[in-house]
Amino acid sequence: MTIENVLLVSAALFAIGAYGVVSRRSLVTVIMSLELMFNGVVIAAVAFSRFTPAAALLSGDPLTAEAIRSALTGHAFAIFVTAVAAGEAALAFALVFAMYRATESVEITDASEMKN
Amino acid sequence: MTPVMEVSALTTIAFWAASAMTLGFAAIVVTQRDVFRAAIALAGSFLGVGILYFVLSAEFVGVVQILVYVGAISVLMAFAVMFIQDIASGSRPAQGRLVGVAAAVLVFAALAFTAYNTEWSSQNELSPDAVVALTEGYYEVGEGDDIRVELTEPAGDNDVVVANGGAFVESTGAVGVLLVREYMLAFEIIGLLLVAALIGGLLLMRNPPSSNKTEKGDASV
Repeated sequence: MTIENVLLVSAALFAIGAYGVVSRRSLVTVIMSLELMFNGVVIAAVAFSRFTPAAALLSGDPLTAEAIRSALTGHAFAIFVTAVAAGEAALAFALVFAMYRATESVEITDASEMKN
Repeated sequence: MTPVMEVSALTTIAFWAASAMTLGFAAIVVTQRDVFRAAIALAGSFLGVGILYFVLSAEFVGVVQILVYVGAISVLMAFAVMFIQDIASGSRPAQGRLVGVAAAVLVFAALAFTAYNTEWSSQNELSPDAVVALTEGYYEVGEGDDIRVELTEPAGDNDVVVANGGAFVESTGAVGVLLVREYMLAFEIIGLLLVAALIGGLLLMRNPPSSNKTEKGDASV
């Protein structure tokens, strides 16, 4: 397990999600694929946190608590992205329901107008 | 030169197993016509990603992943699938399927090329003191703005001493401190964003558009 391997998995998950976003017609599946892409990005953030050194820990300065914590910036980033993705999913499904009520369809090709 | 954190053979096996699980279920999500099966596969994929986080020694992120994604978002997906009636017709592939394959292959090739052709800085460049602080633990001595870091427990003075586990080994506490110190503002804004998303969702779902006009008086409480 090296950083290259983890980034490869992250890239593969992102690409699978991208394929789903482009090639599916149902909005529900498109949102699922979007969540897969989010996960791919977060895996990369955690991998960088795990395998590359924090810049503040490289220099010869005396060790500070902030510098030690900065090695975990990727984890904090992962948590923020997860929170944003959760909010996005909730809002996206509200929109899908609103569209379903208005047009009786959840297909992306029917979403050409935003009236009602 | 030994790596800062040794990757054992067992970890490597767990990593590839979790990766296979994640990518396999993800492939089912984007190819399955039955949307409910896709939702179940999505939960499996999220679980695989959670295991990946544990393998990457990010326990807190792994637990958050399982709580938020496997626990909440998957259930939301399942509800969405059940609410929408015409799901029986399935998720038909769109016209531009070849375009999708081409885009995905290009994105993957570009990212993989970058991953393998970049010389990533290695943790072997860390100073020995930093390695000890990350993997074995450190002590914060003093209080207020005047905190210094010691690697061994200071004996016999009146300062406040806080013992910390290695930031990589016991990441949960360090991530908690990181969130409420360095990223305090972002943390608050995320709370605001979630409230806004919640209110926005409720507003969109509130009334069917047809009955909106008749009940306008009641709705504006």
